[in-house]
Amino acid sequence: MSVLEVRGLKKVYTTRFGGSRVQALSDVSFSVDQGEYVAIMGESGSGKTTLLNILAALDKPSGGTVLLGGRDLSGISEREIAAFRRDNLGFVFQDFNLLDTFSLQDNIFLPLVLAGKRYGEMARRLQPLAAQLGIAGILHKYPYEVSGGQKQRAAVCRALITSPQLVLADEPTGALDSRAADSLLDLFGQINRAGQTILMVTHSTKAASHAGRVLFIKDGQVFHQLYRGENTSRQMFEKISDTLTVIATGGDRRD
Amino acid sequence: MTKLFYSRLAATNIQKNRRTYLPFLLTCTFTVSMYYMITSLSQNPGLDKMLGSDVLRYTLSLGGWVTAIFSAIFLFYTNSFLIKRRKKEFGLFNILGMEKKHLAKVIALETLYVAVISLALGLGLGVLLEKLLFLVLLKMFETAIPLGFSPSLSAVFMTLALFGAIFLLIFLNTLRQIRVSSPIELLHSGNVGEREPKTRWIMAVLGAISLGAGYYISVTTKNPVAAMGLFFVAVLLVIIGTYLLFTAGSIALLKSMRKNKRFYYTSKHFTSVSGMLYRMKQNAVGLANICILSTAVLVMVSSTLSMWMGMQGILDTRYPRELLISSRDYSQQAVSDLHRDAQQVLDSHGLQSNNAFEYTYLTFSLLEQGDTFTTGGADTSSAKMLSSMNSLRNLFFVTLEDYNRVTGQHQSLEDGEVLLYSNRESYPHDTLRVFDTTFTVKQRVDDFPGNGFMAANIASSHFLVVKDLSVIQQLDSWQKAAYGENASDIKLYWGFDLTGSPQQKIAFYEDLQTTLHEREFEGALECRSEAKQSFVSLYGGLFFIGVFLGLLFTVAAILIIYYKQVSEGYDDRERFVIMQQVGMSHSEVRRSIHSQIMTVFFLPLITAGIHIAFAFPVITRLLAVFSLTDVGLFALCTVGTFLAFGLLYALIYGLTAKVYYRIVRT
Repeated sequence: MSVLEVRGLKKVYTTRFGGSRVQALSDVSFSVDQGEYVAIMGESGSGKTTLLNILAALDKPSGGTVLLGGRDLSGISEREIAAFRRDNLGFVFQDFNLLDTFSLQDNIFLPLVLAGKRYGEMARRLQPLAAQLGIAGILHKYPYEVSGGQKQRAAVCRALITSPQLVLADEPTGALDSRAADSLLDLFGQINRAGQTILMVTHSTKAASHAGRVLFIKDGQVFHQLYRGENTSRQMFEKISDTLTVIATGGDRRD
Repeated sequence: MTKLFYSRLAATNIQKNRRTYLPFLLTCTFTVSMYYMITSLSQNPGLDKMLGSDVLRYTLSLGGWVTAIFSAIFLFYTNSFLIKRRKKEFGLFNILGMEKKHLAKVIALETLYVAVISLALGLGLGVLLEKLLFLVLLKMFETAIPLGFSPSLSAVFMTLALFGAIFLLIFLNTLRQIRVSSPIELLHSGNVGEREPKTRWIMAVLGAISLGAGYYISVTTKNPVAAMGLFFVAVLLVIIGTYLLFTAGSIALLKSMRKNKRFYYTSKHFTSVSGMLYRMKQNAVGLANICILSTAVLVMVSSTLSMWMGMQGILDTRYPRELLISSRDYSQQAVSDLHRDAQQVLDSHGLQSNNAFEYTYLTFSLLEQGDTFTTGGADTSSAKMLSSMNSLRNLFFVTLEDYNRVTGQHQSLEDGEVLLYSNRESYPHDTLRVFDTTFTVKQRVDDFPGNGFMAANIASSHFLVVKDLSVIQQLDSWQKAAYGENASDIKLYWGFDLTGSPQQKIAFYEDLQTTLHEREFEGALECRSEAKQSFVSLYGGLFFIGVFLGLLFTVAAILIIYYKQVSEGYDDRERFVIMQQVGMSHSEVRRSIHSQIMTVFFLPLITAGIHIAFAFPVITRLLAVFSLTDVGLFALCTVGTFLAFGLLYALIYGLTAKVYYRIVRT
């Protein structure tokens, strides 16, 4: 069953006074099945971020449809959209986006508080998750008191606590040192094996090599995709590197 | 070329930061024109033509000092806010290769621009508005003076000197801040994660005690003399208490809110409580500032307004008749001489007297201790003096015969019996022991001749009607023995109204005074019309200054609010973006913002209201010093001022909330 289905997505930006038009996405179609771990790769300006914003319902497409859990995002009213996002999507950002005003625990609770959950239930949900993510001991610290890796774990915890249908990750390792990045990627693997669907946008070959499938975007289109199959991360890494080289040198291979 | 570069850079910097610079420019312009106006007015030669101009001039120049000191503090405050916002920009310039001396040059030019613009605009505005202000003053003082209005050159120089110095200091202070920090610090100064403030219970408790003590003084001080001394102590305690409570108390309160999990973990309170807690350290001082300024405005305007409004009433109680004469010689002969002289002068002026009254009285002060009145010990230490102030009473004696005649009653008294009336502090006992005599209170009465006359005296008075003159003479000899040189005399008090215009009345008064003076009359004359002019210049001057400074403080409070909202808007912008990503809807964001702004806005106003309510008793006593005893009028003025201020405040709320939303949204 597909959790996410994207068909013929287009996005055109018009500058403020209607001057030049920029085509960020020209025709993107793909789908993500339940329990999949998909990475989307592309260079800067390839339209990755635009795609992610549309998937998160933070931005509206110029054409095409996005179905999340079978529901058309464009059919959801402005009033419902925040609640829909909260209940169905979890976000992990490059720069964590934790609020300095909250302790880690309160940051994690934020979506649940907004959903009107009781404190008892929030605490019940947090406990196993915090243990799994290895942040149980630092829940009462503030974001500026912990390391980048710890912040990102808290952010992952915040994304998972609502048990979303899909976790969207935007360059999750971008602001981490290599050790913290490795451990976060392992964590993503674990979570995925436990059944969580993940869609990650990245330009790090290493991050993408942990995914089950890698989509390559170039000039606003899905240019190529790779399945992990029986490959190890290492083999996957090489295949991705090769593909990137082909893309960079202007090849036009599709399979 | 480089010269031009810096001056152009400075100009564009101001333009780019106009959202924060424009209010600063307005503040500078406003304070400049306020200071110029008050200084120039106090030097206006036209004032000399008013009666009682000395008092007015003094009041105005005092107002000038307050304005000067306030301007300095306030401009420093707003500038420090500006610098805080711009440190990042300076850091960037620094990293891009501008040396600190170049930065100093740019900042110097910026300061110069602001100084020149605000001084030019401020002085221009001041000269224009000064004319208006002068007309208002003339209108208030009911004086018809051909407009002796001229912009004062010396006031211009004083303004230039004062604000030149302030701008120079501001510049040096900015320089100091830039100099001590490295470019990296400057770059990141905008987003240092501020440590969560600790709960400081001791400070919170001290604040509560300090505030409580201030309130206690206000509520319990009964004596106007004591009130005058203690008022400033109370003000100081309340200010300290306000600062401590806003800083420590608010954090304690917010933390306890956060501890209550069922309250805290709801979408309505979650973000606002944590947001306020996070910034409370700097927030609190701003809130306390707003609160103190609001309170000051309310106190000044309401008290001076009620004095101005109650002036005629005060005049009428203090001077129950147009002309009042007291004479030390109360013999039949002296009285008829006085009547004859007065009639002669009346005839020569072609005026009529009417509504006359006349009585003989004796008044002196004693300390009330239970039912006994004594002269007190020889202890004159100040603490003792202050505490004895509360029990100091004027005793005022008239004879039954005078009382019945003046009031038109037919009371009778046995030996040792008195009729009693007390004007402020009631007397609980049925007997009074004065020197060697004990009086029994036969009846308590509602009013008394001479009540208004004694109202001017700040100590509370007991008025006693005694059987006949011999009782008064006996008391007189005792008090003469007790007080020696400082003793009082038995006096004749005669008052009557006059026909004619105020000018005629004053002419008559002056003439009669000369006549009586020539025959070495021992006593004093008072004329209501003549006194009115000094009343007008005192009360009118105070009211004028009250409104003037009230306006200044209000504008200051508004600007603090504005800057707070703007700076917080920038801080909050990022937070709200994140919250939307996590799943907060627009309306939830709006609601959260709303609840924060409401708290920030209305907490100081409500606190100011409470301060005013507690200050009410002590200000009532203080106004009694100025003979204003109409508590109802003062209450009305206070409520009216509060409502007007509240309305203005709500208006500002609407405006700044809009600015805030605009910043957070984009």
